[in-house]
Amino acid sequence: MISCKEATKFISEREEGKLTFHQRWQLWQHLAICTFCRLFNKQNKVLINSVPHLHDHNDALLTQSEKEFIISSLEKS
Amino acid sequence: MSELNATKWVSDYGDMLYRYALPRVNDRETAKDLVQETFLAAWRNYDNFKGEISEKNWLFAILKNKIIDHFRKASTRLTDSLPGIADEDAYFDDAQHWTRVAAPQDWNFDTDAPIERKEFYKVLQMCKGKLKEIQNIVFTMKYLEGWESEDICKELNITASNYWVLIHRAKLQLRDCLEKNWFIQ
Repeated sequence: MISCKEATKFISEREEGKLTFHQRWQLWQHLAICTFCRLFNKQNKVLINSVPHLHDHNDALLTQSEKEFIISSLEKS
Repeated sequence: MSELNATKWVSDYGDMLYRYALPRVNDRETAKDLVQETFLAAWRNYDNFKGEISEKNWLFAILKNKIIDHFRKASTRLTDSLPGIADEDAYFDDAQHWTRVAAPQDWNFDTDAPIERKEFYKVLQMCKGKLKEIQNIVFTMKYLEGWESEDICKELNITASNYWVLIHRAKLQLRDCLEKNWFIQ
């Protein structure tokens, strides 16, 4: 039986199809009996589905003086 | 093509580019510098802009290159210490099973749909900002820029085994941070 540490690592490798048939079977067996790694598996999806949207929800702004600095550097170049 | 107007360019696209860069590099100064370099490169090479894509997409393409350049430069400074990456940690015990304090709890969150709450992304950004720089670099290239692991290893000159350790640890840390600061408070 693989450990939780291996199982959670396998979950990332599986995303890129990097597991052998045997490793997929080991992961499947582990997830069948391990509640914690099943939760990790689910939460990993929440994480990787939300990170690509970080910038859509970012409302940071350049300050006026930062913008003016960039503008003057363009005009000088 | 109308004459280039620096003020209009920066006011039309400056914040947009900045917001793209910031969550990737986790640092205001770096993000601002990358935006400035992007505008400068675009300004100097405007003759090469063919208009096959929009001006906006062209600027974004330049910015994405600048971000990867920045990551590559930063990683040469950071990967010297990689072979010694500490692999012992608080997540797993001696038998490599979850420790009691680090074991995932049920978030009671059962959808695959992306989360739409602005506050959630603030927490996610805060958690991402706590990653070690090299972890953030591989995680960002993989999950925000959508690169394949082989290409990331090549670009950053790291081994596949280092890559998988970095990704694994970045995820363990992000999951833990989200749980403690958002899902279960």
